[in-house]
Amino acid sequence: MIRTFTILAAILFLSVRGAEAAEEPVRFGLTAAVVRENLDLYERWAAYLGRKIGRPVQFVQRRTYREAMEMLETGEHDFSWICSFPYAKYRDSKVFGLMAVPVFEGEPLYRSYVIVHKDRSFRTIGDLEGRVFAYSDPDSNSGYIVPRQILSDFGRNPDSFFRHTFFTYSHTETIEAVAERVADGAAVDSYVWEYLNRREPKFTSKTKVIQRSETFGFPPLVYRTGVDAELRARMTEALLTMDKDPEGSALLAELMLDRFITAPSSLYNNVRLNLDRR
Amino acid sequence: MRLLSPLSLSIKLSIVLSLIVAGVATTIGGAMVYRDRQLLRDELRGKALLLARSVAVTALEPLLRGDSWTLYKMLRQITQGPEGARERTLITAMILDPEGRVLAHLYPALFPIGLPLLADNSPERPRLQSELAMKDSGVLDGDGFIEGMAPVQISGKNLGLARVRLSTFELDKHTADAGASVLMLSVIMAMIGIILGTFWSNKTLRPLHMLARSMEEFGHGVVHLLPVSRGDEIGQLIVSFNRMANELEEKRKLAAELAANEKVIALGRIAAGVAHEVNNPLAGMLNCLSTLRVKANDPQLVSRYLPMIEMGLKKIDALVKDLLIELRVEDAREVADASCLEDVRDLIMAEIDPARIEFAWENRLEPSDSINRPRVQQILLNLLRNSIQAMPTGGRLWCRLWSDQDKLVFEIEDTGHGIRPEDLGRIFDPFFTSRPTGTGLGLWIVLRLVQSMHGNVDVNSVLGEGTQFRIQIPREPKLATRPA
Repeated sequence: MIRTFTILAAILFLSVRGAEAAEEPVRFGLTAAVVRENLDLYERWAAYLGRKIGRPVQFVQRRTYREAMEMLETGEHDFSWICSFPYAKYRDSKVFGLMAVPVFEGEPLYRSYVIVHKDRSFRTIGDLEGRVFAYSDPDSNSGYIVPRQILSDFGRNPDSFFRHTFFTYSHTETIEAVAERVADGAAVDSYVWEYLNRREPKFTSKTKVIQRSETFGFPPLVYRTGVDAELRARMTEALLTMDKDPEGSALLAELMLDRFITAPSSLYNNVRLNLDRR
Repeated sequence: MRLLSPLSLSIKLSIVLSLIVAGVATTIGGAMVYRDRQLLRDELRGKALLLARSVAVTALEPLLRGDSWTLYKMLRQITQGPEGARERTLITAMILDPEGRVLAHLYPALFPIGLPLLADNSPERPRLQSELAMKDSGVLDGDGFIEGMAPVQISGKNLGLARVRLSTFELDKHTADAGASVLMLSVIMAMIGIILGTFWSNKTLRPLHMLARSMEEFGHGVVHLLPVSRGDEIGQLIVSFNRMANELEEKRKLAAELAANEKVIALGRIAAGVAHEVNNPLAGMLNCLSTLRVKANDPQLVSRYLPMIEMGLKKIDALVKDLLIELRVEDAREVADASCLEDVRDLIMAEIDPARIEFAWENRLEPSDSINRPRVQQILLNLLRNSIQAMPTGGRLWCRLWSDQDKLVFEIEDTGHGIRPEDLGRIFDPFFTSRPTGTGLGLWIVLRLVQSMHGNVDVNSVLGEGTQFRIQIPREPKLATRPA
């Protein structure tokens, strides 16, 4: 009886010690702004960042932008890679701050692509009147706000312009929806389309880009305002110096990004403009 | 002869039996294939219904949210096979709204979202209308497909209709394959049956074959008893045959014995005849001799009795000669061609006086006609000499020889005194003669020789006008080798 108790006590003691030893991971939110399909890459990136900051890093996938924003607000996530639109919308809320901006093809910028199936003859988004159109997320700049803005600029009501619209909550799946011809047209993040077109062209090869929007600030990486200042500094440092070491460079190459830089929030002014005009 | 090839019978028997078996097998197999098909079809119906129901149940949430992309992905996932490949039996799947517009379709390029599935004037439109109003799920049996349908409902209200259409192609192919297998198996069975059946019935009928051959040989006089190795009907048949063969053989032996006895009797009769014929002149001669012994010095008596004794001796001499001829010729068997008969002509020509008797010789026998020379020569000589003696005052004599398909014919005709009708029945009897110097053996010898060659003699005679003898002898291909 006494021996059993001793063993149980030992086990209890050891498990408490073990829990203390394993540090709470830093949660890093991801959204549809990035390519979600390559989980392995994100695991290696997380491991890399974890070594740099001295704490384990965990990327957490969220289905919608809104969800990711909530997690940031509640403090469940300390960092997040969010879309340009929510950033511009909430940048004054003091909930988060701009940490780093990816540089894609030489610039911290991206566009919205209007895509259709490669066998269709549509030449602009205007040709898609009365058709089925796929959006990615109601909070997506490239996948929702921009195409609607283009239609509004032409004096058309985006709510009645298409016969039917639906959300896929992922740029990748939006491309798939067009490739499968579930949707006649769609608007997607240029980075995602280019990334897939180079790495996994199964669906992009069945689509073609018929319209490119103006450029916008690339979806940024943000920190929660309440996060530990030192952790924030370490994370920022780790991201900004990624291109300085071979492992980081290799990861960046896999992500098809040049590097991460700091940028003023004014980079997102034209995104904000769309929001204001809405 | 038909029994000699029992193959046809055995093949016929086995073919008929095998075909019956194959027919039964085909019928049973066909029934099983049909039942199998029904079961598979029911299974497919169940599957279509199940798929449609699961689509309907899962579709409710995304349908309420207007999430067309999730609806499409659902159709795609629910209709995927275990390896990610699309189910081979699947034709299509869709979700329609209560007005018949497409909410999601497995082939969005052909059936775009938001457009009616069918045109308003489509003939299938009324049926679709009633299907859209269905409150319960159901199955539609179509041509080449089975379609499961399930309404998407919330609180009893139809929000849409899930339809999953499965192809019956695999099913039909399966049925066709199974049918083909059944047919092929039946054909193979029939063929094996025919081969085995033929082998078996051949074996069974072999004793019958042997029996038939034995009967054939039996007809030729060869008795060949068969071994009895079985107890069935064929065995009984063989036993009966053997018994019959034994009986017939005994009968034949008996007949041969009888014939031998007859020969002995005939010989006795001849002997008696010879004794009688010899006895008559002998008695006269003995009389003469006893008289001469008493009156030996009476020259008148000597000159009167010596010729009488000489005549008696000559008669006995002739008798003995004829008998010797008969004995010599009866056993002779020398085969020659027809030209040997020319000797007969020469002999007769030398014996007649051409001034008195006109002799016509007509030999139309083929050189290939083979002839038992001593017998035929003897027959012709005897008949021709008879004719010459029947014409003491002269006349005409014909001898015609010819042959046809199956016999040789000899015809001797004269213009002599003819035979008395009452004598016609006796002319072939031994020692019957109408001439004082005759032995009465000539025609008897002719008849015996003709009979020994299985021929027959016809006589045609008109008293005072002439006589015609016609002898017909069947051709015997084995004349040279067979005993008479």
